[in-house]
Amino acid sequence: MSGAVAAVLGQFHPPTTKDFVWDCWGPSLDVGGLSFCMNFIHFLVVLGFILFIAFFYFGLRKPAVVPGRMQSLAELGIGFVKENVAMPMLGTESARFMPLLATLFFAIFFWNIFEVAPGINFSSNSRVAFPLVMALVAWVTYNAVGIKKHGFFGYLKHVMVPPGAPVPLYVLLVPIEFLTQIIIRPITLTVRLWANFMAGHFLLAVFFLGTIAMLQGGFTAIFAPFSFAIAIALVGFEIFVSGLQAFIFAILTASYIGGAMAEEH
Amino acid sequence: MAGVLSLIVAAEEAAEEVNEASDLYPHWEELLVGALAFAILFYFMWKWVLPRIGALLDERREKIQGELEQAEATRSEADALLADYRTQLAGARDEANRIIEEARQTADQVRIDLQAKAEQESQATVARAQEEIRAERDRVFQELRSQVGEIAVELAGRVVGESLDTSAHERLIDEYIDQVTGGGAQN
Repeated sequence: MSGAVAAVLGQFHPPTTKDFVWDCWGPSLDVGGLSFCMNFIHFLVVLGFILFIAFFYFGLRKPAVVPGRMQSLAELGIGFVKENVAMPMLGTESARFMPLLATLFFAIFFWNIFEVAPGINFSSNSRVAFPLVMALVAWVTYNAVGIKKHGFFGYLKHVMVPPGAPVPLYVLLVPIEFLTQIIIRPITLTVRLWANFMAGHFLLAVFFLGTIAMLQGGFTAIFAPFSFAIAIALVGFEIFVSGLQAFIFAILTASYIGGAMAEEH
Repeated sequence: MAGVLSLIVAAEEAAEEVNEASDLYPHWEELLVGALAFAILFYFMWKWVLPRIGALLDERREKIQGELEQAEATRSEADALLADYRTQLAGARDEANRIIEEARQTADQVRIDLQAKAEQESQATVARAQEEIRAERDRVFQELRSQVGEIAVELAGRVVGESLDTSAHERLIDEYIDQVTGGGAQN
């Protein structure tokens, strides 16, 4: 290896899965075999939580018929979820599910956005546990709605026996439908969100750390501006992804609920 | 280029050394923290945010509706007022026409009266003038008659050439009278 490469190797630490392991900041609270403590991840969860509360609290603290800036934003946000997520998927039933869908959308968005917050650049949704919690909420909700509507076996039939297919095909259709609708949906919901932010973190880390490493690596410094430009572009991309993933999660949940509630065709 | 390539290779090597799948596994603590945070956010959204937004939208709708209704009321009031004014205007026009017509009739009446009066007066004047003329004529005629006797006598005296003395005069007259009384049979 040449000296230049050695110099680069000396400074460039590629991001690893260790980026997703964080130590406790202080004493931990042990309850029933679990050990709770404040660490970076939980700090981010609390930060997103506060952002969520603050966004709506300051928006709607003194609601006025003629809204101010914060109120306009809060109303716009809720209006967006109502008109673009709930109404298209659930129609007249949308009001019942607005609390869930709006919470999903804004919680995911405010937790995602720390991916691009300067100095933090990390989203709690890149830890699989948090998307998993929300996917489980969605899963429980749409199944419960379906069972309430059709009865337990009625719902299983609703899920597994789509009408109109040739009879022999049901040998294939029944297990496939069961798998996709009951088993795979929560997994895809989880993985879609989690993987986006884990990969997003890797991408940003590679290009920002790569820029620094190239600047310090002698002649490789000439590549640094390109790396930096891509890193900046990726920040914009991650902002977009933050909104998009929140939207997708919410609209898929709404769609699953709508499907579970649908009348027999 | 070599530098960048070996950088990637090195990164892969380094990754192999430290990456562990178990680093990415969810922890029970995280699941519970996430669930608790989500539950609180859900409750906040459900019980605080959406009711406030709903109340706000209702209030806004009522306000807009109230304003629309008020505008409608104002408009119908204005319409009624306009119709009222139009009726009044038409009434006023009729009234004006009626007054003009009345005035015209009065004027006609006055004209006819004046004409009649003037005619009467002129007739009266004419009649009076004729009366005066006739009276004057009678008076003149009377005067003339008395004067004609005297003139005739004087004229007759001059024609005779010599003034008849009173005795002759009286005699002449007596003779004339006698002639007239008795002479009718002689002549």
